[in-house]
Amino acid sequence: MRTKVLAVFVVAALAATTAACSKKDDGGTTSTPLVVGSTLSLTGAFAATGIIHKVAGEAFIARLNANGGLLGRQVEWKVLDDQSDTAKVGQLYEQLISQDKVDAILGPYATPNILATMAVAERHGLVLPHHTAVLAPQLTYKCQFPGWSIGPTPNQFIPNLLFDALATLPQPPKKIAVLTSQSGSAAFVTNGFGNDKTGLLTIAAQRGIEVVVNAPYPPTISDWGSIAAQVAGAKPDLVINNGLGVDTVNALTAMKQLGYRPPMTFSLFPAPGPLLGLGADSAGVLSVSIFEPNAPLISKAGADAQAIIDDYKSRATTAKIPYTAFETQAAASWNAWQILAASIKGAGKVDHKAMCDWLHANPVDTTFSGRLTFDASKNNFWAPTLGIKQIQNGQWVMVWPSDRAAGTLTGPTAS
Amino acid sequence: MSALGPMGRGLLGLLGTAVVLAMLGIFSEDLGLSQYLLVLVATILFWTTQATSWNLLSGFAGYFSFGQGAYVAVGAYSTAVLTGRHGVNFLYSIPVGAALGGLLALLIGMVAFRLRGLRGEIFALLTLAVPFILAAYARITDWVDGGQGTTIPLPNYPEWIADFQHLMFLLNLAVATLAVGLALGVHRSRLGRGLAAIHDAEDAAEVLGVPTFRYKMMAIVLGGVLGGAGGAIFALQIGFVAVESVFNLTIPLFVIIMSVLGGRTHWLGPVIGATLIVTLQDRLAAGGLSAWSAIIFGGLLALLVVAASDGLYSRVRANPWPTLGAGVGVAAVVLVTGTVETVTALLYGMLAATAVAIGAGLLRPARASAASASDASTMDDEALPRPTPVPASEGPLVACEGVSRYFGGVRALEDVSLTVDRGEIVGLVGANGSGKTTLVNLLCGAMRPTRGTIRIGGRPTAGTAAHRIAHAGVARTYQIPKPFASMTVHDNVAMAVMFGRDNARLPVARRVAARHLATVGLSRLADAYPSTLNLHQRQLLEMARAIAADPTVLLLDEALAGLSPAEIDDAVTVIRSIHDSGISIVIVEHLLRVVRGLATRVVVLDHGSVIADGEPAAVLSDPAVVAAYLGRQRA
Amino acid sequence: MITLQAAVTGALVGGLYALMAAGLSATWGVLRVINLAHFGLILIGAYLTYQVATSWGLDPIATLLVSAPALFVAGALLQGAYDRLGVAGFNSLLMSFGLLIVIIQIATNIWTADFQRIAPELNRYATGGLPLGRLILPTPALIAFSFAVVLIGGGYIALQRTFVGRGMRAFAEDRNVAAAFGIDHRRLGLLLGGLSGVSAAVAGMVFALSNSITPTTPYEWFGTVFAVVILGGVGNLLGTLVAGVGIGVLSGLVSVIWSPSTEPFMLFLAVILALLLRPQGLFRTAGAQ
Repeated sequence: MRTKVLAVFVVAALAATTAACSKKDDGGTTSTPLVVGSTLSLTGAFAATGIIHKVAGEAFIARLNANGGLLGRQVEWKVLDDQSDTAKVGQLYEQLISQDKVDAILGPYATPNILATMAVAERHGLVLPHHTAVLAPQLTYKCQFPGWSIGPTPNQFIPNLLFDALATLPQPPKKIAVLTSQSGSAAFVTNGFGNDKTGLLTIAAQRGIEVVVNAPYPPTISDWGSIAAQVAGAKPDLVINNGLGVDTVNALTAMKQLGYRPPMTFSLFPAPGPLLGLGADSAGVLSVSIFEPNAPLISKAGADAQAIIDDYKSRATTAKIPYTAFETQAAASWNAWQILAASIKGAGKVDHKAMCDWLHANPVDTTFSGRLTFDASKNNFWAPTLGIKQIQNGQWVMVWPSDRAAGTLTGPTAS
Repeated sequence: MSALGPMGRGLLGLLGTAVVLAMLGIFSEDLGLSQYLLVLVATILFWTTQATSWNLLSGFAGYFSFGQGAYVAVGAYSTAVLTGRHGVNFLYSIPVGAALGGLLALLIGMVAFRLRGLRGEIFALLTLAVPFILAAYARITDWVDGGQGTTIPLPNYPEWIADFQHLMFLLNLAVATLAVGLALGVHRSRLGRGLAAIHDAEDAAEVLGVPTFRYKMMAIVLGGVLGGAGGAIFALQIGFVAVESVFNLTIPLFVIIMSVLGGRTHWLGPVIGATLIVTLQDRLAAGGLSAWSAIIFGGLLALLVVAASDGLYSRVRANPWPTLGAGVGVAAVVLVTGTVETVTALLYGMLAATAVAIGAGLLRPARASAASASDASTMDDEALPRPTPVPASEGPLVACEGVSRYFGGVRALEDVSLTVDRGEIVGLVGANGSGKTTLVNLLCGAMRPTRGTIRIGGRPTAGTAAHRIAHAGVARTYQIPKPFASMTVHDNVAMAVMFGRDNARLPVARRVAARHLATVGLSRLADAYPSTLNLHQRQLLEMARAIAADPTVLLLDEALAGLSPAEIDDAVTVIRSIHDSGISIVIVEHLLRVVRGLATRVVVLDHGSVIADGEPAAVLSDPAVVAAYLGRQRA
Repeated sequence: MITLQAAVTGALVGGLYALMAAGLSATWGVLRVINLAHFGLILIGAYLTYQVATSWGLDPIATLLVSAPALFVAGALLQGAYDRLGVAGFNSLLMSFGLLIVIIQIATNIWTADFQRIAPELNRYATGGLPLGRLILPTPALIAFSFAVVLIGGGYIALQRTFVGRGMRAFAEDRNVAAAFGIDHRRLGLLLGGLSGVSAAVAGMVFALSNSITPTTPYEWFGTVFAVVILGGVGNLLGTLVAGVGIGVLSGLVSVIWSPSTEPFMLFLAVILALLLRPQGLFRTAGAQ
């Protein structure tokens, strides 16, 4: 027993001394690269979208470095794979910050992961630009900066946006089916959050639209047959799927098996590629977007935009991503990077307090979303420029609001 | 130091280590220790808590659980709901999480342990289902989660704690110390020995007097409490609690790997396992190989199950100098070359030690030495306390009245009435399937009769747990011996004394056991392990264990099966001397020459009913008995 | 009407669950090996269906010509390994868990973590449905059910009538005696492992017909498949079929009557109740426990 105790003491002492002797020497000269650290879902459930952000980020950095980098330093991006596992995200960011001592960080993909990162960022006082968090009320850290145009109350904004757009149709939908994924952002849009119970359901009621099917489903659902049966039986004018990934694909497939095709369908945060893969069955499907590579929008975005879009496309093709168009996800990524770059340039140094203060005091000009201003009282969620997109002729086309549209919203297809 | 028992020394050592670690943590900046190291050790401490808490039931008692994630989740959600949604100080959430974890464990135990069929795989699957159902519940219940998750605000902490990571380190250290301390305490206690007996042979333990239900409940509840406390702290660590982040298969997988790797029967095992696995994973992630970590851990688990399922601890214990030497040596060499980080060097050292431990174990399987020497030789009858006698009672020692036992449609026993009086040796004979073993099971309380009453010492046994029936004076042996494989022969017998009527402590029990070993003639094998004994010796061990409980009635279930004639004669001699010491015997046997020679009375069972009961000579020539059992033609 | 449709679709989809469960149940009941890697084989079966259909343009069902033999071999090898290493009972649960994780990672390395789905032009079954009065029987579910009936029914008949089948039943009941009668447990194990692999190939193919595949999908099957195995009685093939259909119907009904998000909760509640009240299954088992 004594030997055991002694052994433990020895080990502890050994660990302490060797750790103390191993202090590494950091160089601090301006010729060293500026390292940005982040994680992305490169494997696992969210990988289809995670990879889009990886390519977008790499494209941005290449461009940035070609133009001299930041503060005269070349920028490097250290990306770790969080395997779509929220529990790993925090640890990995801790590692990036404490061990790898990155100069700055950028957020991961998907709301729950971003929230996990926010906790870490807050502890270390780092500025956290991120691209895809939707649960604005939960993002209370004042130095997190969203790149996704959703506004501080997406649970009101999105349903109103959708219904406003649909109201322009000759026969707006009167009966809707609402299928909601019980996870993070999707459930928020349907049901609200905490004390704020407004959401799709309450807004539909306000507008006199009848909810004939209200089916929340677990994100792990594998059999859509019963949901399909309910929807087919209720015959709504519009099926709203507040879901992620391939949920809408699965739902539409299951309905088709029953010989039913919804007159109109809306999908909240789909993985962009798979829906297009349904071919004719997905014609007319609606979703939200901050940007689509449609000609009018590209020209509005300025001279750089086309070059960026082409560069992204060639990189995506090389990386063998199924969907190579530069659209809403990539644009959000671009926004986040531009926010980060602007804050560093604006503060003149890598000092996160200065960067955070600069962002609160100054607007950031982005290529794809225009001028952004950050108001801490709104959790930094800037006035949204989100629009509705629709699948037309096998492509996603922005159709609403009209000042940012590249096409017109088309009504229900004959079923 | 020597005035304290081994447990006291262990706890003191643990406390000392904890204090050292706390100091290192609090003053880490002054000592130049990097933040990263603090986080790594905090993670190791978290997993130590989880692996240790899992090990209490699953390692010590052998009830493998896949549900550790449920306790972590319950703890995490306590923090999420109380601190995250209602602003309660996290220091209150932690005990609430612990309490809820314990409550969940209590529920699972109450349900699972009451039903006898629930062992092994079925228990594991049940515990696998629990986190799934809790996750499903959390998702649909708004005040818990509702699918949206909860952010945990930054906690407030006092001035002397430098920052958040230091807070996490200290919290995890506190809980881990508590966990390991509890495990240490349990390991060396009655509870620990009882759990080990349950692990090896639960039924035998129960009829020996180990209160198996109570002990399993204690183990599972302790595990739940610790798991819940760790989970509450985990919520603070991740800062955002959602169903996906707390309900995943990583937690059960990791605690299983850690404990299997480190060693499941000792309290240090999970600590070793946690340290190795966490460091390995950290280095893999740092090296950008996290995609490989899944393959490595999955493969590691598969390999361990096959090659080293008893874990590292016992192997390091068996070969301490080669393993520790290899570890320190490799680490030092790699450090000196300065090519890798310190932690990587330490990892290489640990891996080297592991490889040597497993390799040495494969080449030279050496048994860990018995914990302390048995002083069997210096027995002093005067110094031993007199065993508590069974309260004397009028009438037969054992009485069955109209006892029936059905298994579904099978009537194993039908309306059996018989008695066993003081001083008798009752021979119980019958064809295979006539109900003899069932009757033995009923008499010792391992099963309940479907109908009828059984009285031991005049008192009915209905509703009494088997371990209490053991205390009432009934002991049995098994036809296929069920020794406690992890204990020496001496300790096997000592268990009966420890858990018998007297609740003796181990040193006293050992001395009493020595006497019984002498009675059956196994003294020279006292320090051997049951796996090295032959069948005859194991049967003798069964008998020694049974009589060590100081019973009034001993039920011998085909104790002579498979023995050679010489061994049979030896066994009969032992049985006689047991009888001479005042124990009445019921002997279930096929060998008629033995029954004729030994029994004062013979009872014959046929298809579950008693067809004869009386003097051996008369019964064995009864035509009905001959027809049913012996065959029409006398041999 | 909606409820009936949901129940009917659920019953047919239950065929898929039964297919997944059958192989697992058979090896568990006869060989006492709980092979979690079976889920990995189903995953590989699904990916093979996708890959062969996409690369060679074969009809998805025809891809069984490739995947069935491949998984027969894989299943037999796995079982052979368990046998060689003397791994059974609880150890097999642990070891196969480790192997499952390895298989999932390998699948990720080969096919990426992206959702893969057979393109609509290659898969004419994905969106079809067979009308039956006012109900519709979705084609993929119908295919699942048909395969389940054929395979399980065939398996049952083989167990009852063929020599090998009877050998397996004898082995399940009392392996020592069976060995004494000359039944070679090694060959038996290989055969059963291989057939189990074939059932995995079929289950994977059916799954790929109407679902997107991603490497972590097997974790979502655990709950339902184990529920089917336990409720049907370990080793009881017909019981597995009935339990699969039953669970499918239950799922469908719960989804419609309450909501789809309540369904997992109800399902696991049913599993827990089953484990507590009747761990030997709802039906009489063919072999000893």
